[in-house]
Amino acid sequence: MRKLPAGYLPLILGVLVLGIPACSKKAVRSGGDIQASQDAMAKGGAAKDGANSSFPDTSFSGRDDANSLRGLDRNPSEERLGGNTGNAGSPGGAGHGNAVIAKADSGSAARQLAEIRAEQVASVAAGLRDVFFSYDSFSITDDGRHALAGDAEWARSNPNAQLKIEGHCDERGTSAYNLVLGEKRAKAVRNYLVELGVGPTHLSVVSYGKERPFCTEHAESCYSQNRRGHLVVKTGK
Amino acid sequence: MMFRAVVFVGLCISIGVVWIIESGAADVFLEATRPDFQKIPLGIAGIDNVGGSESPEGRAKLGTRIEEVLKADVRRSLVFALVDLPSLGIKVSQLGAEPDPSFNQAAENGVSVIVWGKAGIKNGNKEADLSMDGYVYDVGSHEVVGGKRYVGSTSVARLMSHRFADELVFRYTGEPGIARTKIAYVSELGTARELFVMDYDGYEPRQLTADGFLNLMPRWSPDRRFLVFTTYRNRNTQDIDMIELATGKRWTLVAQGGLNITPVLSPDGNSLAYSSSHEGNAELYRLDTHTKAVQRLTTHAAGDLSPSWSPSGRELAFTSDRSGGPQIFLMSADGSNVRRLTFDGDYNAAPAWSPRGNWIAYVCRTPRKEYKLCVITPDGQKHLQLTTGLGVDDSPSWSPDGRHLVFSSTVEGKSQIYMINADGKDLERITFTGTHNSAPSWSPAS
Repeated sequence: MRKLPAGYLPLILGVLVLGIPACSKKAVRSGGDIQASQDAMAKGGAAKDGANSSFPDTSFSGRDDANSLRGLDRNPSEERLGGNTGNAGSPGGAGHGNAVIAKADSGSAARQLAEIRAEQVASVAAGLRDVFFSYDSFSITDDGRHALAGDAEWARSNPNAQLKIEGHCDERGTSAYNLVLGEKRAKAVRNYLVELGVGPTHLSVVSYGKERPFCTEHAESCYSQNRRGHLVVKTGK
Repeated sequence: MMFRAVVFVGLCISIGVVWIIESGAADVFLEATRPDFQKIPLGIAGIDNVGGSESPEGRAKLGTRIEEVLKADVRRSLVFALVDLPSLGIKVSQLGAEPDPSFNQAAENGVSVIVWGKAGIKNGNKEADLSMDGYVYDVGSHEVVGGKRYVGSTSVARLMSHRFADELVFRYTGEPGIARTKIAYVSELGTARELFVMDYDGYEPRQLTADGFLNLMPRWSPDRRFLVFTTYRNRNTQDIDMIELATGKRWTLVAQGGLNITPVLSPDGNSLAYSSSHEGNAELYRLDTHTKAVQRLTTHAAGDLSPSWSPSGRELAFTSDRSGGPQIFLMSADGSNVRRLTFDGDYNAAPAWSPRGNWIAYVCRTPRKEYKLCVITPDGQKHLQLTTGLGVDDSPSWSPDGRHLVFSSTVEGKSQIYMINADGKDLERITFTGTHNSAPSWSPAS
């Protein structure tokens, strides 16, 4: 990453997390099956029940003979250890060799950044305000109600807009439980907006837990920034 | 017959807890997790450099490098006690295929096993074959009990050491060792979090995903071919994906809308347990990987997440906040017989059931609001805190031999990955670069 003065970091993170999906383009994946599964989902296929109709057998049939140890030998025969063949069935394959290689799509990250920046521009224009939470809490405070009153007014006067509510947490606690807490925060915001007359079909929620912090210092001043319900205008699908 | 022992062991952690271990071990092999287990004194006489026309300096580096890796592997095995031969006055004069005469002195000094070897590169070409020979001398019987001969490119030099170390563990315990295992984890790239896999000692990191957004909490398939994890598709929905390590190919296993997190395959690979909020709040589900049928395991207005299978696959530990703050619960794998396991403190989460079955590791919040590693027996009778200090420890994951845990911690500021023995000793940091490394998952052994 390019070097930037430390003071810029919260600003940049804030900019990155704000935003509107500029388009509904799917992130390109490394495997073709992703697209297939998304298509299946769209058609209400097996994915509707939560399961992809086809993925490789994951059942464990016992030790992998090719990779298993062969024991010490008084007259050892030569064991060739694999290089970069990627063959899981040979010693030095995926199990313990140097074969693990990401089929990275270098374009995906750039697309994500572009979309996030476009979201940010549109959300700033809408003037939406975020909601902040106490430690361990997903209750909306008086300040939060005040902010959401303005947000609800904007939503009611822009009836075609879709709002995304992101739930965020500070770095304390486990990654997994913070995803659940973040969802509770996002849903608390959504429910309050609905109480204020915003149509539920105009609102979606997503939890980022502590994985997209606005601020990365280990201090309460930073934690309080990260415990937030962040409102984003969606313009894509 | 199984031998059962109850032994009290004092622990060197600040609160001075007395820890009771109950061990049920087959007596066929030495049981290195038994508290009365005596480590086997092992000396490494050296890895000599032979052959090739690479500069003497380069060859010396190679032999030293392999020897250092081997020493670290032997130390981490917890099966052997690494003995420094020179400090015992044992001067090795030559490292051929035959034992050095000096090895005879080892018996008087209590050394049980002496290991040595040689390594060289053919033709002085870095890309040409590297060969490594390793020998094992049993001091008691005064004989070379066996050896290994490995060949491969120089890029697998560390792997040669790891494989040889695992052969030593296998020879003396019948277990496969952990030196060839891997750790999957999440690393920050810019503001994105991508999946990586590294060797168990933190070397040879490899990037698996490059989505530019969030990929979280990878877990290994029992055959080590795949990882299951949470991915944010298009930033707005969380799905559960599977990636094949050898090819990078991906499949979506769960795409239900809502939160879909903490996937983990059962020990037999036939079920995927995960948490999903698509029916309202976070509940646990079980996907049959053959029929693709989904069974709901929990029904509660509170959040249920982070399932961890018992080694038999018959039970699950999980996190639930049904009693207020998050606590660890147990249930049968069909969702029946739910009972609370942890009662100390107001925040206990991220359970990880040991592959030996005797402990469940988890993250416990201390009275000073630090998040540290704790372990508890599945009957809830014994529990203790393994780590101390500042910051947030998270995502404990057991080594396949049940002797170590890997976890993430912000104890030194940024989140990095650490290894610790199951008794809380030998804390070792294993990632040193990057702004954030987290969510480690230790692979099964092979």
